[in-house]
Amino acid sequence: MGRQALKRPAELYACVYVREFSAQALLRLRPELKERACVVMAGEAPFEEVCSLNTKGKLLGIQRGMGRVDVGGFPQVKVFSRSLKTESTAKQMLLECAGTYSPRIEDCSGDTYFLCAIDIAGTESLFGSPEALTRRLLQHIQSLGLSGQVRVSHNFHTAVCLAKSSSGHSRVVVNSGEEAAFLSPLPLDVLGLTDEHAEIFALWGIHTLGMLAALPEKELIARIGQDGRRLQQLARGEWPHLFQPVDSPFRLEERQELEFPFDSLDSLMFGVAAMLDQLILRVKARLVAISAVTVVLELDGGETYTRRIRAAQPGNDKQFWIRILHLDLQSHPPPRAVVTVALQAEPGNTSTIQLGIFSPPLPEAARLDVTLAQLQALLGEDNVGHVALQDSRTPESFRVEPFRAPSGFDTSAVLQKERTAARRLRPPEVTSVHLDQTRPDEFTFREQRFAVESAYGPWMARGEWWNEMFWDMEQWDVIARAPNDSMLCCCIAHNLLRNEWQVIALYD
Amino acid sequence: MTDRYVELHASSAFSFLEGASQPERLVERAFELEMQAMALLDRNGVYGSARFHKSAKLNGLHAHVGAEVSISGLGQRLTPPAWLPFRHRAEPVRIPLLCESRQGYQNLCQLITRFKMREHIKDDGAALLDDLEQHSTGLVCLTGGDEGPLASALCSGGEKAGRNTVERLVHIFGHNNVYVELQRHNEREEEWRNQAALRIAQTLQLPIVATNGVRYATAYDSEIFDLFTAIRNQIELDRAGRLLSMNNQRHIRPAQEMVDLFRDIRGAIGNTVELSDRLTFELTDLGYEFPRYPVPSNDSMDSFLRKRVIEGVGRRYGARNTSRFMEQITKQVESELALIERLGFAGYFLIVWDIVQFCKERNILIQGRGSAANSIVCYALGITAVDPIRMNLLFERFLSENRGEWPDIDLDLPSEEKREQAIQYVYLRYGELGAAMCANVITYRGRSAAREIGKSLGFDQASLQKLSGLVNNFEWRGPTDTMAHSFRDAGFDLTHPRIAKYLDLCMRIQDLPRHLGQHSGGVVICQNALDTVVPLERASMPGRTVVQWDKEDCADLGIIKVDLLGLGMMAVLEDCVELIPKHYGDDIDIANLPEDDDVYRTLQRADTVGMFQVESRAQMASLPRNSPKSFYDMVVQVAIIRPGPIVGKMMHPYMRRRQNKEEVTYPHPSLEPVLKRTLGVPLFQEQLLRMAMTVAGFTGAEAEELRRAVGMRRSMDRMNNLEDRLRAGMTANGIDSATQETIVQNIASFALYGFPESHAASFALLAYASAYCKVKYLAAFTCAILNNQPMGFYMPAVLVKDAQRHGLCVKPIDVHESEWVCTVEHEANRTLSVRLGMRYVKGLRKQTAEAIAISRRSHGIYQSIEDLTSRVTSLNRDELITLARIGALNELQGSYHRRDALWQVQRAGRSEGPLLSYSKELLSEASTSAPLIMMTTTKRMTEDYAGTGLTIGSHPMAYCREQLRRRGALSAKELWNASNGTYVRTAGCIIARQRPGTAMGYIFISMEDETGIANVIVTPDIYERHRSIVMRSKFIWVEGLLQSHEGVIHVKAMHLAALWDRGLDVRSHDFH
Repeated sequence: MGRQALKRPAELYACVYVREFSAQALLRLRPELKERACVVMAGEAPFEEVCSLNTKGKLLGIQRGMGRVDVGGFPQVKVFSRSLKTESTAKQMLLECAGTYSPRIEDCSGDTYFLCAIDIAGTESLFGSPEALTRRLLQHIQSLGLSGQVRVSHNFHTAVCLAKSSSGHSRVVVNSGEEAAFLSPLPLDVLGLTDEHAEIFALWGIHTLGMLAALPEKELIARIGQDGRRLQQLARGEWPHLFQPVDSPFRLEERQELEFPFDSLDSLMFGVAAMLDQLILRVKARLVAISAVTVVLELDGGETYTRRIRAAQPGNDKQFWIRILHLDLQSHPPPRAVVTVALQAEPGNTSTIQLGIFSPPLPEAARLDVTLAQLQALLGEDNVGHVALQDSRTPESFRVEPFRAPSGFDTSAVLQKERTAARRLRPPEVTSVHLDQTRPDEFTFREQRFAVESAYGPWMARGEWWNEMFWDMEQWDVIARAPNDSMLCCCIAHNLLRNEWQVIALYD
Repeated sequence: MTDRYVELHASSAFSFLEGASQPERLVERAFELEMQAMALLDRNGVYGSARFHKSAKLNGLHAHVGAEVSISGLGQRLTPPAWLPFRHRAEPVRIPLLCESRQGYQNLCQLITRFKMREHIKDDGAALLDDLEQHSTGLVCLTGGDEGPLASALCSGGEKAGRNTVERLVHIFGHNNVYVELQRHNEREEEWRNQAALRIAQTLQLPIVATNGVRYATAYDSEIFDLFTAIRNQIELDRAGRLLSMNNQRHIRPAQEMVDLFRDIRGAIGNTVELSDRLTFELTDLGYEFPRYPVPSNDSMDSFLRKRVIEGVGRRYGARNTSRFMEQITKQVESELALIERLGFAGYFLIVWDIVQFCKERNILIQGRGSAANSIVCYALGITAVDPIRMNLLFERFLSENRGEWPDIDLDLPSEEKREQAIQYVYLRYGELGAAMCANVITYRGRSAAREIGKSLGFDQASLQKLSGLVNNFEWRGPTDTMAHSFRDAGFDLTHPRIAKYLDLCMRIQDLPRHLGQHSGGVVICQNALDTVVPLERASMPGRTVVQWDKEDCADLGIIKVDLLGLGMMAVLEDCVELIPKHYGDDIDIANLPEDDDVYRTLQRADTVGMFQVESRAQMASLPRNSPKSFYDMVVQVAIIRPGPIVGKMMHPYMRRRQNKEEVTYPHPSLEPVLKRTLGVPLFQEQLLRMAMTVAGFTGAEAEELRRAVGMRRSMDRMNNLEDRLRAGMTANGIDSATQETIVQNIASFALYGFPESHAASFALLAYASAYCKVKYLAAFTCAILNNQPMGFYMPAVLVKDAQRHGLCVKPIDVHESEWVCTVEHEANRTLSVRLGMRYVKGLRKQTAEAIAISRRSHGIYQSIEDLTSRVTSLNRDELITLARIGALNELQGSYHRRDALWQVQRAGRSEGPLLSYSKELLSEASTSAPLIMMTTTKRMTEDYAGTGLTIGSHPMAYCREQLRRRGALSAKELWNASNGTYVRTAGCIIARQRPGTAMGYIFISMEDETGIANVIVTPDIYERHRSIVMRSKFIWVEGLLQSHEGVIHVKAMHLAALWDRGLDVRSHDFH
């Protein structure tokens, strides 16, 4: 039986390129700044550098990498800080926009630009000719407040290179066989060369794709290996591409606009319950569970109020989620009436812990979550967890870390010696102290006067003199007696910068 | 209870990042607090003790000597308990040791030397208990603070371990020599250790002593201490955590405060005074003796020296001189030898003579400089090359009876290996523990301070780099040359609190020691016992050891050093001595060169690029005016362009008289013989001495004393006394009061800045020799100077361009021809050319370059790039590429231009792998044609500068000459045709920037184009306006008024602009 030659499916790609993406993402909803030079700065203060800018900024002479002082030298420049969140939102929108033309989208974005390729083969009956699709796509992008370039080619990389090049041909669709001619004048950097290859080509005096394409192939491979072949075929518009489509974004979001502003939390929870139903249905369909829920409430007056609740273990128990959301909103009620409710859920795995048959029963994870949520509602979320010491002499230099399952028995924590225990008072209690020369003589604690019998100190400590957090204090360990003969062993501290006395610990 | 207190445990900044105050500052503070004595115990050394001692003497304080010595075997230094997070490194404990007697001091030095020298590299190291046992006599041991063994033992093993540790110390040092130390810095943990220590002291019946474990003079300095802790641990202050000190209590506390602090502990304060009284040793009692030179048994050192000098006189003067002249010589020799014998310095002269002999036997050029050239003994011994009799030099300037100081002889040697040979000879001759280099204390300066503090405060690398580039290193410090200005220029906002702190810290740590380096050539000698005088330690350089004091410290304590200094020009002349006979067929004796008109004409034209001492811009500006015509003119020329004569306003009077524009007069007719040679203007220190001798009847020694008293301004009483004597002497000689005043003024102003005539004469010899070689043997001189870079005032690129302008053909680096060094080649037309050596290829290893040359000599020239890579297997890809980029592979087969070579190199740089390595022909390319286009001329120039730092092609400015001409720019040569006062435009490549301290903030820029060098003067206000252009630009456009005066032209800049630098890696030589 004769073998029938496999026919390659027809390929046609539209590539969308949005340059200065950081700036465009920030400016798209600010049309009033269209005529002003705007720059986006990244990095830590005071050493931020320009990472992106609009055309007006470029015309003024501002360049990437300039510092804040340099930018300050230009008149009327609007300076923004880079917002990765805004960029992410804008990127999602662009991908969704691309997704309306084809289910097959490949995201090739870099740090400073947005780039995606859309497989538009076979979409003519839906969107018309590639030119028509391109026009429509560009209008779509413009409607989002962004400006981009679109190039179409039967070769994926040709489309990418042409889109990335600002000085490309005015024609947006490249026919089969024309790729090399279109690519020839483009600079090599559209290929995204490695530093090593860029250096070699610079040494050879090869600056354009046409010059690269003209090199003898075998000799080129002998010099830079198979990368040479790849780059040359890229330069000729011949390099094939294995399309790696991105999944259409799986967004677990539900949003409900309320008919009138709600003040009552209970009423709100009715709507939340209905939305949770939908979310749980969707996650169950994907065999996952909800690990966290973010409640975004739009308030009367346009303000947004957000709470995020994460479960110790992902789960799809609606009653559980309602309970912990309710507890959280009870302890952090929105400041004004709610006009819109949005729930964003995050999926997680539904793994269960298999315990031994004879292991003692443990409380359910969900119940622990509820208990912790109750504690957090009571004490504040930064006050629930375990305490971890920091390498610092600063008073109160500890942090509260969320509880986590222990990985094993930690022997280092076992104290080798018996020590006097001190109970730290948090917060410390302000006191008034009477001094005998420089030593504490009398002080008041919890409305009782204590006469100091013995005072040990002062123990002096100071730190962070190199910044505004500078602190300087002395402490006294005192044994004191009240008029009713009750004895108090405590530590009192004198904040030398504020001249304030506090009882900071009680000794057992 | 007494209210006297002596601080017995203080560390200075010489504990290198573990102390925050200079020793002088500690003394100053102790003096303010009326402390009668103090002990300095730096970490593992006595680095700061010399300065501490000197300052203490001046302030009437008793300076105890000691050290905190690291000991292995007594546990690790205290760290926070394991349950707390911390970043402390494990370090051995340190015990504080105090020297009670000279024997104790010697033991301490030997102890430190022993464990320091046990290390094979420069490292702190730690003593063993055995070492302690052997060197414990005469030392008093304290149990230490938190760095000590008792604190460590108490925390790791409780009171029992603490007692055991103290018992071990008692066993080593004896019961009377161990004090239990108590420190109170208002820290809880320290107090429980103190209570335990008290119980131990009571049990073992040991005395207790209070100290404050001082690390800084005042509480405010604790910030520097914290900063140093962060730097030492290479961590940012924000992350340093418990590494930083708990509080700022480790400062020098007043006696009353210490008494109050230790009121509850009987004897703790009183014992400090008692122990201080016990410590009788001071550094004045060092016991240093200069080594004796070994002489035959029938000779004393004096008689042996006499014989060598008489031999030398015969050799130097021979029989060609008159008996009257010989009589004068004999008289001077006798007088010098008698003085040397009286002072007991014969050994010193013989040791220097021995080093000179060693060098001469190995054909190493060596020449004494400085005031030694005043001595006929030095001349006869071959130490110096200037004849002091013919030059009429004054011996007393070198050595005088009253001075009480050792003579100072500096020996110049060719740099690098030859100098190292001489240094190693000294080590060999006097033993590993008999000789060592002087230390050189590396201190925090503008840039290093800004960089390290910036890192500690968490500033990013790019900003620090920018700041480092702006911190001014020019000599002049104008009102805007402040660090604050540099900070602002680098874009720092000084109102930001952290940045304000950054600036504050940068200024506060200026001049504090960072680490110890080695002096460039000062060798201290003490026959096999130098380690009893000062501890020795390894230097970073293999085979070198250093003492813990720098040369000023050594001099202050009367320790003799011999300076073996590297002088690039000596190496150049040495190479010339070899190259000239070989390529020109002429024999040359550097010490006896003929006076030559061509050479003087060249000097008069200031055509002096590359010549020793006369190549700087200032020298070039004065040469046409002074117009040297004889050797003595050169002596004056070398001496006159110095801060001394310029500040002393001697330069211009001399020049005017030289040009017959001013009458030659003398302050007094009797001074005519003294000042005649310098046209009535005192230029040299020797003249000052002679003036005092002539007008006031001073002896040579008295005159020298006067010079030193005025020069150092140490003691006003002494100076006034000498001035009175001077005036009295002049009155006795009938000199009127007005003239007396002139002479006194002359002496007073000049003594500060004068230059020794003998030193000028030694340098003038080298200057003339370099000029002679350059004028007569340009190829040899250029080859030699290129082979001894870096040296001198100009970069190699400038030297090459200058040689080319003088008609020398400089040929490119070529793997078929070049050696590692530059070589002289003979052309078919019988001219000589210079072939650049591969040492100029950036990134090419010497070993590889030599392998290229060796294989070429043994197996013939290379057929192709593949042939080259297969024969020189050590050549790596980067080296091959660099060789191809600079055109060194152009002559290989199949490689017609640099890109051809680069095309082939890329293939040659990839190995076929073992499978195909034997069948290369299978992989050979069918096509030999290269597909790459040739580099443009400017690209070739860029590659030349990038790969070699110079080009033998056209000067970069030549490529834009047409464009510049259209803009009205004149070339350096054309500037000579412009008249004085014309407004001119010019442009060039900056080759040197100078901002001399004597020029009131003016900046002098030397810039070069294809026709020569032009000079630009930048006034302070123009500099302020164009600071960045002046500091950073490589090529500049200058507009301004031409100043043409007596054969010297300058453009006084009124407008400056940066020119596009084409990415060229051209370098200027700045900040002289």
